[in-house]
Amino acid sequence: MVDYVIKTNQLSKTYSKNKVVDSVNMHVERGKIYGLLGKNGAGKTTTMCMLLNLTYPSSGEIFLFGKNPKKHSDELYSKIGSIIETPGFYENLTAYENLKIISKIRGDFDPYTINSVLKMVNLDQHGSKQFKDFSLGMKQRLGIAAAIMHSPELLILDEPINGLDPFGIKEIRDLLKRLSREFGITILISSHILSEIENIADVIGFMDDGVLIEEISKEDLHDRLNKFVEFEVSDIDLALNIFKVLELKENEDFTVSGSTIYLYTHLSLRDKFNALFVNAGIDVGKVNLCEENLEEFFTRFVSNN
Amino acid sequence: MLTFIEMEFLKLKRSKIFLLSLMGAILPPLLMFIAVTAFGEGNTFELLFTNVNMYTSAMFSVLIFAIIISYLFGREYNEHTLKTMLTIPVSRSKFLVSKYVMFLVWIVILTVVTSFSTLVFGLIAGLEGFSLMLFIDSFARLLYANVLLFLTFSPFVFISLFITNMVPAMVGGAGLALVNLMVYGQNWAPFVPWVCPYLIASGEIAKYSTSVSVAYGVILATFLIGMIISYMYFTKKDITL
Repeated sequence: MVDYVIKTNQLSKTYSKNKVVDSVNMHVERGKIYGLLGKNGAGKTTTMCMLLNLTYPSSGEIFLFGKNPKKHSDELYSKIGSIIETPGFYENLTAYENLKIISKIRGDFDPYTINSVLKMVNLDQHGSKQFKDFSLGMKQRLGIAAAIMHSPELLILDEPINGLDPFGIKEIRDLLKRLSREFGITILISSHILSEIENIADVIGFMDDGVLIEEISKEDLHDRLNKFVEFEVSDIDLALNIFKVLELKENEDFTVSGSTIYLYTHLSLRDKFNALFVNAGIDVGKVNLCEENLEEFFTRFVSNN
Repeated sequence: MLTFIEMEFLKLKRSKIFLLSLMGAILPPLLMFIAVTAFGEGNTFELLFTNVNMYTSAMFSVLIFAIIISYLFGREYNEHTLKTMLTIPVSRSKFLVSKYVMFLVWIVILTVVTSFSTLVFGLIAGLEGFSLMLFIDSFARLLYANVLLFLTFSPFVFISLFITNMVPAMVGGAGLALVNLMVYGQNWAPFVPWVCPYLIASGEIAKYSTSVSVAYGVILATFLIGMIISYMYFTKKDITL
């Protein structure tokens, strides 16, 4: 039986008459990184807020670690670390002081843990700097430090790489991967940076207009990405005539853009087509076997659904 | 609860509002000191303590308390720390109560500062009639008035949760201070929750036809109504990010 750390059943949230989360059935498996993907306003943050008990569901059920969080609130939420949107900390305090408040209230204050976690997110060099003077990237890193400080079993991270530079993004990506692989921490992460989700997630949930359209494993996703062959030719009319003779149909088997033909069917015959072009005296500048990236898949997927 | 209070103090580190509130606590004694030295208004410690207690609990405290309570609750929204605190996890009722207790601790500190600064100003002015008993009695009366006033500020908790910036609380506090001035001496003053504490603590309630238990009842009712609506609102409402 699959061990789900997060499971929701018909989870919905309605503000006035506006249903922002609509009957979401989410399944986050233990030890996996689950990427929640969706446009702004898709309902990702509201879903995460409901999981964290910051927002109350209008209907539906939530199970965390197989238990109802309404009945086991303290037990369950102490196993969770989270960042929702921009991390909130006391502006007049340093990173250490902010983490001290959290750990003291949680009851697990240990100066060594705080210092090591600050070192892990590269904030150990900013001892006396107050939070109000932090850059957005530093704030995000402190948020991550606060989320992982108590060695949680589940991390719920809403856009955690917002505001980070490419080096920061790589650091956090590596850190999250390490937390998942080495410590078995389950991670639910949302991001609008599709390539990041593609990079990090084992399972991707596609959300649009409050609806969780589908949950796809990375392996399945790879199989479902459209593949095509790109031919860049010197004589497009002659090349199209050849395709016509072969009974290939435009917009069905291939599309054309300028001097490039995008072939979506009969991909295994690409070398034969290339030979036909060359024999007909067409210069073929490029023959590429391409795969749709996540962004293209997401756009196609959402518009189809 | 002690940890919560300790952490509330840590949150005030480098905070200007704490220093400003201490300066506010010194203001009534300072103004009375100026009145005594510049205008010769009384030359005894008893009069100085009485005047300071009156102006503090009937006017200055009302304004300062409104600002403090608004800051204590409002900053958690304005600095987006509420979502961090509640996901630690901290129960919403525990959060509400710990903040209100911190408000009481802050009030006690301000009371101590006001009383001791009154003593210092009195000594500088060379006033007559000082005794330890007088000082203790004056401190106890001010503390009692401020603690009763603390109870009447629970509706401000709701206001601070509902409108999270400090402006409504400041306007409300200033408005109440004016109301207190206007109703002081009126027959129905014991029915105004924010005047009652001074009237009870100073013993002036005896001059009114209304019994002291009615005044206590008004304070208690205000406290309960404020706490109940604050609790209901805070525990039922989604946390805004």
